[in-house]
Amino acid sequence: MLTPTHADIVSIAPELILTIAAGLLLLVEAFLPRFRRLLSGLTMLAITAAVWARLSFELPGEVWAGMLRIDQLAAFVDTYILIAAFLVVWMAGPFMRRSDSECGEFYALILFATVGSMVMACSVNLLPIFLGLELLSIPLYVLNAFLRRHEVSVEAGLKYFVVGAFASAFVAYGMALLYGASASTNLVEIGRQATELGFLNPLTAVGLAMVVGGLAFKLALVPCHAWAPDVYQGSPTPVTAFLSVVPKGAALIVLLRIVEGMHLLQISPRWVLAASIVAVASQTLGNVVAIVQRDIKRMLAYSGIAHMGYALVAVIVSGFDGGTAVLVYLAAYTLMNMSAFACIAQLSEREDRPHLISDLSGQGYNRPVAALALTISLFALAGIPPFIGFTAKFAVFRAAVNEGFVWLAVIGVVNSLISVFYYVRVIYVLYMRPLPERKPDYGFSLSICAVASVAALATLLLGIFPTAVLAAAQSAILGLVR
Amino acid sequence: MGGDVLNDHLLSVVTLGPTVFAVLLLFIPMRWKQVHRVVTLFTSIVMFAISTRLWTGFDPNLPGFQFEEKFAWIPMFGITYHVGVDGISLLLVLLTTLLLPVVVLAAWSLDIEHIKSLHITFLLLTTGMIGTFVALDLFLFYVFWEITLIPMYFIIGVWGGPRRIYAAVKFFIFTMAGSVLMLVAILYLAWFHHQQSGVWSYSYLDFLRTAPLLPTTGGMFAPGLLVFASFALAFAIKVPIFPLHTWLPDAHVEAPSTGSVILAAVLLKMGTYGLLRFNRALLPDAWEKLAPVLMVLAVIGIIYGALVAMVQPDLKKLVAYSSVSHLGFVVLGLAAGTQASTQGAILQMVNHGLTTGALFLLVGMLYERTHTRLIDRYGGLAGVMPIFTGIFLITTLGSIGLPGLNGFIGEFLILAGSWAEHPVAVVFAGLGIVLGAVYMLWMVQRVFWGPVHITANHGLPEINLREIFVVAPLVVLVIWIGVHPNTFLEPMEASVRLLLAR
Repeated sequence: MLTPTHADIVSIAPELILTIAAGLLLLVEAFLPRFRRLLSGLTMLAITAAVWARLSFELPGEVWAGMLRIDQLAAFVDTYILIAAFLVVWMAGPFMRRSDSECGEFYALILFATVGSMVMACSVNLLPIFLGLELLSIPLYVLNAFLRRHEVSVEAGLKYFVVGAFASAFVAYGMALLYGASASTNLVEIGRQATELGFLNPLTAVGLAMVVGGLAFKLALVPCHAWAPDVYQGSPTPVTAFLSVVPKGAALIVLLRIVEGMHLLQISPRWVLAASIVAVASQTLGNVVAIVQRDIKRMLAYSGIAHMGYALVAVIVSGFDGGTAVLVYLAAYTLMNMSAFACIAQLSEREDRPHLISDLSGQGYNRPVAALALTISLFALAGIPPFIGFTAKFAVFRAAVNEGFVWLAVIGVVNSLISVFYYVRVIYVLYMRPLPERKPDYGFSLSICAVASVAALATLLLGIFPTAVLAAAQSAILGLVR
Repeated sequence: MGGDVLNDHLLSVVTLGPTVFAVLLLFIPMRWKQVHRVVTLFTSIVMFAISTRLWTGFDPNLPGFQFEEKFAWIPMFGITYHVGVDGISLLLVLLTTLLLPVVVLAAWSLDIEHIKSLHITFLLLTTGMIGTFVALDLFLFYVFWEITLIPMYFIIGVWGGPRRIYAAVKFFIFTMAGSVLMLVAILYLAWFHHQQSGVWSYSYLDFLRTAPLLPTTGGMFAPGLLVFASFALAFAIKVPIFPLHTWLPDAHVEAPSTGSVILAAVLLKMGTYGLLRFNRALLPDAWEKLAPVLMVLAVIGIIYGALVAMVQPDLKKLVAYSSVSHLGFVVLGLAAGTQASTQGAILQMVNHGLTTGALFLLVGMLYERTHTRLIDRYGGLAGVMPIFTGIFLITTLGSIGLPGLNGFIGEFLILAGSWAEHPVAVVFAGLGIVLGAVYMLWMVQRVFWGPVHITANHGLPEINLREIFVVAPLVVLVIWIGVHPNTFLEPMEASVRLLLAR
């Protein structure tokens, strides 16, 4: 019987704060529905408290009998997940009110999913990883379908549920095989055995392939990407924003822990080849198909597939440089996506209709702030300096070149070039097309605009002064590579 | 700004100053168009005045970089904010700062939408262009290089002609296509530097020591040759070198005339500057192997550009193709690689900026009056606008290399410097000069001489005082360089000698 020590409890203070807050939100919803308007504020308060707890309490390292590793890496990942959740909740308030769907359950589910992804990212043991994965996925199935009067939203929820359940089954089965091969659920132990052996025995290889395959669903990597466009399009925009960064971040960190622990780069050329193919295919398919999209949320879904392809390059390279690049990429991707989706939430008339790119005609002058924020985030996503998207791509390709993967860097930059085409197209619609005869009736919300502006400004400023993010990422990754 | 800041950070002030003012403009309400114009003109004149201190404070006897500033920027990757000018970049920086007030004044009367955004983009563009010329860290260089894309994209796409979106996107994609591989090449150079020295650095001065060691033997895929090709592709698209020039006529024709001026006068020079600064200096072995390719393409470009220019019915397109031809001379001078031809090429970069810039301005003035750029819609303008005709003629003659004006000096130095080693190329390039005279003078004849066959053209107003102020600085320099080129050749001599010695 495991008796938690004081350090164990303190180490998961942020998760506890969020869980308790989620429970309170449900109670408020049940007994004080008049105070519904305060819910998003309360949620943001809880997230702020969680960030404060993570950053101010000491980082004990391994806790809960070696199940979780609360170190600099955990702090980095938690902070960025919490920042993402904060921005999502900030924009969700007015959005859900506008759609007439605001209620406590929404925020509680967001918080549960946040806790799930934090647990997933901090775990070094297969069991809590799976628990975190489920805690993350199940609330998301509901959140996707939250606009239950809209068919597209329900469709998104169902799709994500079917695919997600499938992915979970993959992961669970793969974990069972890994356990069978190594008699341990501890990632460090599994990694040590593989490293000592110097190659992957068949059972480990199959287990690994299934776990990675399951994670690839969460990451929307080719060939597990097909759900992304429909789910992105149908989910309420704040949920899409959440979905596009938080699960992907958690899954990438798990993947990085596995790859780094097993030293897959050194012991398994087959992994390197397979993962490279997946990375290249994700980048290419994502970027090429994004070109023909007419709905901006679908376009960003395909762009997300491509972006995870770039991030996977950094995972393949792993090590100090690669790991740093993964973290920087996640931070950058979060900011860019938050800003972009906030702008979409702002420049949207009705949620059950497609968000056509052509509907944005002339909005550059009609809604200058949101349009500028969208422009900045799209230039950043395209990897054009001086925005942080460039810094992140630079870190990834630098790591690739330094490890001898020049060809992956070349394919990556060529793909960036392809991506420029569709990002820039949105910008010319914004600024170079006249306003249509019938002006779209976009509502105005200060909070959503604030999210867009804050994230866009951060994209710019951190792009010019990336030292703080890079330093944090480097010290976080030191604990992993040792 | 205190005197100290100005002295210690002169180059940074010149580079980043425009952006600071662009941010200020953001806070001025959109309605106050006149305020935007005044503030931007004031900024650009102040910036030019400050940049003249680079000229006066520059010591022509020192071959290395002056006004250097170096700060750690991203220390974990060894990236620094490192800027400096030598004799090669000095003239280009001054050309840029000179052109900013010129284009702001030229755009003064334009009654177009979004004046505020236009001025902000011009100021941001200036930072990007100057930064490209002064950056001594390759990461910084790449950032500035790419930054110029965004404002130029907007200038063409928002304020351009009927096919502006096509032209803007084409410009963006073409230029980006060149530069993405350059990024990999820079990363590779940094990795190679780390292999050689154990230090992470993106510094140009560090790369000068290690990059020449890249192997260039062992077939087409030798690292040195691939890195060279990656850089060369980026620069060749920007110059543009035949056959990568197809974006240029579209961009020029659709861009507003102020945009064309900046594009022709400065942005294209970023390409030739890059060839000299990076390809020539960092990879001398590969340069030796591949310079003949550049030379052949340059000569093809000279003749092709001239022939195509000859048949253009549109004035702007004519000037655009003449740019392809003129920049062929610059590339030829660089590829020949002698002291004289290189100095000639650098001077010719400035010359082209002055004459083509002035031509685009003058064509823009004609367009404002007649709303057409078709050559056969003019004729006999000499009688209607004599002063304008005079200025146009001087510029044209400067462009085709009449002795006593600037183009002659540049082209003469290039051809004389290349003659000893590459007589065949010089012969063909000489043919290009003849063709240049043909299409330019033929154009002048059709536009200005003969009878006025369009009645509406009888009433065209003469060039006004503001417009004279716009072109005057350029015309003065056209004559100055023609009469006393040493003013401009001396400061670059030592730097060119050092660069070619590597």
